[in-house]
Amino acid sequence: MYAIRTLRSQPLRLALTVGGIALCIVLMFFLLAVYRGVADGSVEYIRQNRADLWVLQETATNILRGSSILSADQIYAIARTPGVRTAAPVLFLLSTVRHGGQVGTVFLTGFDPDKGLGGPPQLSWGRSPRVDDEIVLDRSFALKFGFKPGGEVDLQGHPLKIVGISLGTNAFVIQYAFVTLRFARNLIGVPGLATCVLVNAEPGAGLGPIREEICDVLAGLNAYDQETFLANNVHEMRSGFLPLLYTVAAIGAIVLTAILSLLLSVNILERRKDFAILKTLGSPLPFLWGLVIKQAVLIASVSCAAALILFFPLVQVIERVSPEVTTRSTLGQIAGVIAAVLLMSLVSSLVAIRRLRRIYFLEAFS
Amino acid sequence: MTAVDRTGPVIRLEGVTKVFDGSGHSTTAVHDVSFEARRGEMVLFLGPSGSGKTTLLTLIAGLAKPTSGRVALFGRGVDEYSASELQSLRADKIGFIFQTFLLIEALTARENIEIVLRFCGKRRAERARRTRTLLAELGIEYLADRFPRAMSQGEKQRVAIGRAIANEAELLIADEPTGSLETRQALGIIGLLHAQAKARSKTVIVASHDLRLKDYADRTLHLQDGEIR
Repeated sequence: MYAIRTLRSQPLRLALTVGGIALCIVLMFFLLAVYRGVADGSVEYIRQNRADLWVLQETATNILRGSSILSADQIYAIARTPGVRTAAPVLFLLSTVRHGGQVGTVFLTGFDPDKGLGGPPQLSWGRSPRVDDEIVLDRSFALKFGFKPGGEVDLQGHPLKIVGISLGTNAFVIQYAFVTLRFARNLIGVPGLATCVLVNAEPGAGLGPIREEICDVLAGLNAYDQETFLANNVHEMRSGFLPLLYTVAAIGAIVLTAILSLLLSVNILERRKDFAILKTLGSPLPFLWGLVIKQAVLIASVSCAAALILFFPLVQVIERVSPEVTTRSTLGQIAGVIAAVLLMSLVSSLVAIRRLRRIYFLEAFS
Repeated sequence: MTAVDRTGPVIRLEGVTKVFDGSGHSTTAVHDVSFEARRGEMVLFLGPSGSGKTTLLTLIAGLAKPTSGRVALFGRGVDEYSASELQSLRADKIGFIFQTFLLIEALTARENIEIVLRFCGKRRAERARRTRTLLAELGIEYLADRFPRAMSQGEKQRVAIGRAIANEAELLIADEPTGSLETRQALGIIGLLHAQAKARSKTVIVASHDLRLKDYADRTLHLQDGEIR
């Protein structure tokens, strides 16, 4: 009871501390949720397009941050490789979409609607493009720029009808948009080019021989199975995003630990007479440590609860204001943050506990 | 449990001196003090403020180390006890009554008493039973759930005594226990301490400047400038 009552004796200080720590926790929840959202948005396209092999120029290992250009001859040769049932070329370009005064940049994905590979991973509305004057936009992109389903946009001077809205296509810094391969090729003015080719094998055909054939016979190409290619892209996304995430999360954690240590230390200093009395009366040191640890865990728990109450409405507001910020929270993430906060509360109490050593018996007699 | 000698004196001080070193100068708080106290004895250290009474009490309780001389508690030199043995000794065998009662403000009367029982390892049920008994014996059952801020000085002092005797300590150390009490309350409190010495064979050491206590002590030692006169 001592731990709780002494905290409650300074309600304003307690509220400010809990508020500060709760905001740090919200920050950590939010960063993880953004990371999950970006992770899903960046690689969902690859995950959902279940190609047996992804063929790219050999210098490129992923589609997020790699340049790959395949010629018409190479694409033709891939399609003719023994064991290949489908070879679907896909062309990725950066392009701008306009409507009214709004202009947005998209990761334009040209795919062949007849091949059944390379299109939008999920649709929240509408259908995939079938002809050259149709486009599918990412949901958060459409929301951000106010592009309406069924409406029209201008893409480098070409009017396109929005026939679908896609999900899992928000890579945070840029969003996918889908058009036909022919339209994309017309935009760059070089026929027959592609960024990569998605390959599905004949039933019963081994992927090993197909890959060997593509890599060995067709010079300058590399073929990745779905799992490896997904891992390559996840790695690329993480290497670009995780350092930032870790830095901000670490700052949040340090601020949290500092706030809590400060409060616990101030509490000890203000109650040093109590601690001196308890020491004199024969309190074992672990009992005194326990009082400080209880306070730390209590504040951390209340802060976690406050953060959970704040977090979900806050995310809704942020997603409404900035639709490109797509978040995804899992129970595992939330549990992980709460566990980390509890751990940090223990670290804070250890910092504060050091002050107990400098409280002397004689203080009880002064 | 710390091993103690039950036959000899509870406290024995031999030529004890305590010097506090400050910046550039030192102060002798206690000088060459020797005395012993036995079970059932109530010893009063009488002296004005600054005479070294409180320092002497901390030396007797093993809370401070003498600069020279020897302090023995329960037949064993204080310097022979380890830190954890001294902590156990304070929890199990010594009861303290402080100058301004020094109850823990965040705890009720019941909790202030129970906490010392916790330090000496009593179980929850035993703690509750013992606390109930003590509150009844001291006539302060009605204070059980009251916080110190809602108590009078006399009530606080009774709770403080309850806390000091809760662990059935063999040695009670009281620093100015009547300092802020009116005569009737002061005599009531000293009567309680006297009863602890005589009816329960405790050793009671009281430091005070209150002359009203002289009649209750078995021995009165006058302390002036850190020396027994």
